[in-house]
Amino acid sequence: MAKLYIDSDKYGDQGASAVVDAYQGAIKDLIRRRLDEVGGDWASFVFDKSYELIAAKDFAAVEKKLLATGHRFDWSAMISVRERPDAYKSAPGVGDDLKNFSFEHAEAVIAPKDAEGREQRGVGDNVVKHAKNLVGIARYIRSSDRVLEFLTQGVPADMIAVIDDSGGTLTAPILEKFKGVICAGGTVRSHLGILTREYGIPCLMNAKISGIKEGDRVEIESTAPAKTTEAYQTGVEMTAKVWRLSK
Amino acid sequence: MSFSRMSYAQLLETNNLIQACADETYWLCVTRTVQESKLFPVPAYMMLSYMMCYYRYPSLLRKIESRMLAEEIGDRARNAGIKIQNPSMGWALPGFYLLGREWLINLGLIRPQDAVEDLAYVMDFWKRFQLSWHRNNGHITNKEYGHRGQFLPERRLQVFHADMFDCKAGDELHEAAQGFMAAVSQYGFLISCESRISLHNSGPYKLADDREMIVRDFMDLSESDFPWLDDVAKDVPYNNLTVTMAVKDCHFYLVDDWGSFESKPEFTSDKLVGVGLYTSDSLSEGYLPVAMGSREELTSCFKSLTDKIKDANNKLWRRIAGWSRDQMMDAGAITYFSIIKDLAHVAGVYEVSDWMMVDERAERFRPLFNDEYSRDALVGLCIGSHQSHRLSEYTMMHHSNAPQRLYSLIPYSILQGEDYTLTSGPTYPGASCLPPKVDRYNTTRGVIKLAEYNRLSREMRPPVVDPRYRHLCETWVKYNAGTPMADELYHLEQSQSRLLKGKGSHLKRADVERLRAGA
Repeated sequence: MAKLYIDSDKYGDQGASAVVDAYQGAIKDLIRRRLDEVGGDWASFVFDKSYELIAAKDFAAVEKKLLATGHRFDWSAMISVRERPDAYKSAPGVGDDLKNFSFEHAEAVIAPKDAEGREQRGVGDNVVKHAKNLVGIARYIRSSDRVLEFLTQGVPADMIAVIDDSGGTLTAPILEKFKGVICAGGTVRSHLGILTREYGIPCLMNAKISGIKEGDRVEIESTAPAKTTEAYQTGVEMTAKVWRLSK
Repeated sequence: MSFSRMSYAQLLETNNLIQACADETYWLCVTRTVQESKLFPVPAYMMLSYMMCYYRYPSLLRKIESRMLAEEIGDRARNAGIKIQNPSMGWALPGFYLLGREWLINLGLIRPQDAVEDLAYVMDFWKRFQLSWHRNNGHITNKEYGHRGQFLPERRLQVFHADMFDCKAGDELHEAAQGFMAAVSQYGFLISCESRISLHNSGPYKLADDREMIVRDFMDLSESDFPWLDDVAKDVPYNNLTVTMAVKDCHFYLVDDWGSFESKPEFTSDKLVGVGLYTSDSLSEGYLPVAMGSREELTSCFKSLTDKIKDANNKLWRRIAGWSRDQMMDAGAITYFSIIKDLAHVAGVYEVSDWMMVDERAERFRPLFNDEYSRDALVGLCIGSHQSHRLSEYTMMHHSNAPQRLYSLIPYSILQGEDYTLTSGPTYPGASCLPPKVDRYNTTRGVIKLAEYNRLSREMRPPVVDPRYRHLCETWVKYNAGTPMADELYHLEQSQSRLLKGKGSHLKRADVERLRAGA
């Protein structure tokens, strides 16, 4: 079988992940076979014949082979799992699941109720230091359907959005109405962090929380110092607390 | 095949440019923010876009240079807040192309010595543009300047400085400006499918011991190149807006080649003490003031723009929420790929088929780009964990200290007989899952059709590239201020200034401040 240039690599002996390795391995096999078919002439293959010989159907076959092993893909965009539920892992916390859903992060720092009856259920990186802590009602947002629901019915005045998307587009039409945000991803420099700062909305990014359910009354320590660039670069812990309050 | 088209010196320089981009890409990807979304399949569209860039950039850049040289477009870039600044040109032009190349090397589909003439050309185009655009600071990138983004000549800075309106936290202008910047930032992320490439920050420029100015560009806001803005953005009156922002007691110590900044102490809205507003495009003779006649006019304009932008934002979100994954992939990939499209607008050779379509050579990879593979492949490309990145164990790369190089260098062995290839070929046909672009472009000359837009662009000869003024640089001004020629040069820039019209070239920063105080 034809030998590829990269097959002679002296130093490269491992890939970025198991899935990447599986794909790259299958694709290299495909290229070797196709190169053989044209007699091994690289110059006529690389930017000419390969355009026909390495085609979409070949790449679809690579994916099909992996899925046949029982592998299901991690999803990052809700549209991916919605269009191909058979190819992706399931997406909890969407639709009817929401009533019983909660983020359960292993790194969540929790503590018993304090003298004020507040039960710590996690921490996050404070985007901007505010004059007062923020109290509101936790509402999970994990899909565009949920955003559309709030867009149509209105955003409750006391809503603290609990999100695991650090981007600025999922909640674009309603973000300005949030009383506060707890985001289980990103950093204070993520798009959501940038936007909450621009809008003056208290926000914790990179939150690690546990046991906070839809409709819980929560308090976030928005009076904590904002997490600095230096703290991220040097790995210094600099967190703000999240409490669950009595209803 | 003997290698006769490039010399050893050219290869050395090309590899130097590749390595510089590799070092900075690693630093940006590791220390700056991570981009993610539950709405858009971001890693998937990014991977698709890199394929598009790899196959199309060389032929499209050659097409652009058939009308206008990279260094001339670089001169024009200093005078407009359009998408030929960072992150487009400072990073993405070489970055996207090289990321695509590296991934194809890892698949075994190309070798480091394939399409070597394309590669050398892309890097050379980038170098010439960057050096021209950056000629006032003498560096090739913000990174080389210690992460600082100063491009503008004194005559433009003086107009920005002089005409800016003071504001303070709690007053009407401050609230209106802050509300506008929040709304337009959010809209910018949505237009650009979660990326920040509609937004650009440059500077800082020193206004006083305790004040610095940041210039913020918000680009592609109205009906123009992106098909997904047709109709929903028709009420946004300007396609590009530039906000000049004076900030007190806050030093911007980092402005990177992605156009984002860091400051000490952290910039918060209460530190905003002055604002101005401008528009520009490839048809304007530089920056045109927007509602800069009075603070009341500017306040009212910010409020009106905010309302229009929020309306467009909500309409666009509803449109996108109804898209298929392939449509989201196309919009995101096209946004990334076309990040340098304004080069074609400046040269007057923009075509929808060139910039708003997925090239068929890139399209064939789409079945690979599920969320998980795309994520892992992308992270590997950005931090250097794929096979092609590995180097000898003795190597300690810049920033990481690890034996890894983000972008493969061209092997010099091609100069002594190892085979190689020259080019990936011309622009192939493309397609898109998105609705066709409506032939309607909102420009500073009104809403026009593309043919008219290109014609006007080709006719455009702003003073900045007029042979009479083109090379009257900041060094020349230093020794010729007050002469009739220097005054003529400054009068051009001052022609639409509220406070500086006709003032000429002799003013220094303190003089401008006195004029502001007396206004």
